[in-house]
Amino acid sequence: MNDSYYETEYMPKANRIGKITGFLGVVLSFCPAIVLAVVYGILPRPAALLTAFISGASAFGVLWFVEPISYFPVVGTTGTYMSFLSGNISNMRIPCASMAQAAADVEPGTQKGSIIATIGIAVSVVINVSVLTIGALLGASVLEMLPDGVRSALNYLLPALYGALLVQFGMKANRQAIVMILIAFALYMCIGLGLFNFIPGASNWLGTLSCVFISIAIGVATAKNAAKNAEAQSKETK
Amino acid sequence: MDTMQIANSLPMWIACAFPVCLVIVQAVLFWRDAWKAGEHTGLTKTQMKRAAKSSAITSIGPSIVVLSGMLSLLVTVGAPIGWMRLSMIGSVMFESVAAGLGTSAIGVTLGTDTMTDEALAMALWTMILCSIGWVIFATIMANRMDKLEKKVTRGSSAMLGVIASSAIIGVFASLMANYLSKPFINMIQKVSAAVTINSWKSVLSSVLGAAIMFALTKIAKKKGWHWLSEWSLTITILAAMIITALV
Repeated sequence: MNDSYYETEYMPKANRIGKITGFLGVVLSFCPAIVLAVVYGILPRPAALLTAFISGASAFGVLWFVEPISYFPVVGTTGTYMSFLSGNISNMRIPCASMAQAAADVEPGTQKGSIIATIGIAVSVVINVSVLTIGALLGASVLEMLPDGVRSALNYLLPALYGALLVQFGMKANRQAIVMILIAFALYMCIGLGLFNFIPGASNWLGTLSCVFISIAIGVATAKNAAKNAEAQSKETK
Repeated sequence: MDTMQIANSLPMWIACAFPVCLVIVQAVLFWRDAWKAGEHTGLTKTQMKRAAKSSAITSIGPSIVVLSGMLSLLVTVGAPIGWMRLSMIGSVMFESVAAGLGTSAIGVTLGTDTMTDEALAMALWTMILCSIGWVIFATIMANRMDKLEKKVTRGSSAMLGVIASSAIIGVFASLMANYLSKPFINMIQKVSAAVTINSWKSVLSSVLGAAIMFALTKIAKKKGWHWLSEWSLTITILAAMIITALV
């Protein structure tokens, strides 16, 4: 099979599509604000908007940089372009990318894995937008007719999803998964009790960023150790 | 015109349709190219169809959660803006916080006070300005991080695989631990009983999710039931969610 197609054809084109759609997305996201200003003549006062922007940026600003870095090893280059334009990354894009890779039986981090993740994320975007479009057209009044029981049960969907996915992907490396859940638990206890309050906004981003890189460090160390042991063994048998 | 009439007007729907369409167009373009590249790199059509199906099944549950989160936005900033904001960038949590920050800068509390024209504009502009940082940084860095990762691993594909699968474990451990730690933190900080009970229920749901998934995966492997491994995540989530809600 032609391996160079991926490097010389697919990736350059994906980068071009990603950059154009990404920056176009930034511009187009102002559309409703412009219509509000031009059609209805409603504009916010610059001073008030600046205040709101500064408080928003201090709450989320670190996430703009930390999230793309934390999630890159999972979703890859095209996955990064898509996930950050469409949003809902941890609750939808990453689960879908990972489940797609599992269903196609490809390894994450390979060319095949990245292609499958891209297909998975694309499907999830189409479904997510379709569901939201139906919901928005039906309107709040119809949606509010959902029984209370259903709506409160939905609060427990994401915790169940994350627990199930940790097991699904941890079963291949069960010791690493068990160590990571203990580390992550201790870390979130410390964050929740305010031990890291001296770092601005730490409660928002410190947990995921640390867990991803600690897990990578453990995984790489284990793999290197295994390689060393295998080498030593093969020398002995010689 | 009343503020909410403006927020739900036809021009607003049209304006919001542009960014939403772009998100779909991007997904379709990447999908088409990935499919073509898949054929070139030796993926079978069955594998790719299986991947698409599995992702479709996986995305339904979280989509409904996002939909129920959209309810509060529909009421406060109108249907078109709520629809657009949750179809691109951001997340449910981010959008409601950002909208609240915007309106409170001019003294309007989102959800309780009546929305004024200016409060609507403040909410909208704040949500947009505070979200584009993600797209700008991710779009600039996507291919550069790829180069960096290759440099760090010196092009070893085995290491790239180890990094990716370790990162997945790290992400889900982090997301699960966030729920697991909540009730303990609430107990130490003596938060109200109702909040603490809710956080215990999330823990129960998360642990049930892990346990049921473990059992189903084992059964599917032992019996060689392919259909079960395809549906195990959906079955697990539904069962964990319903059991937790009934407790």
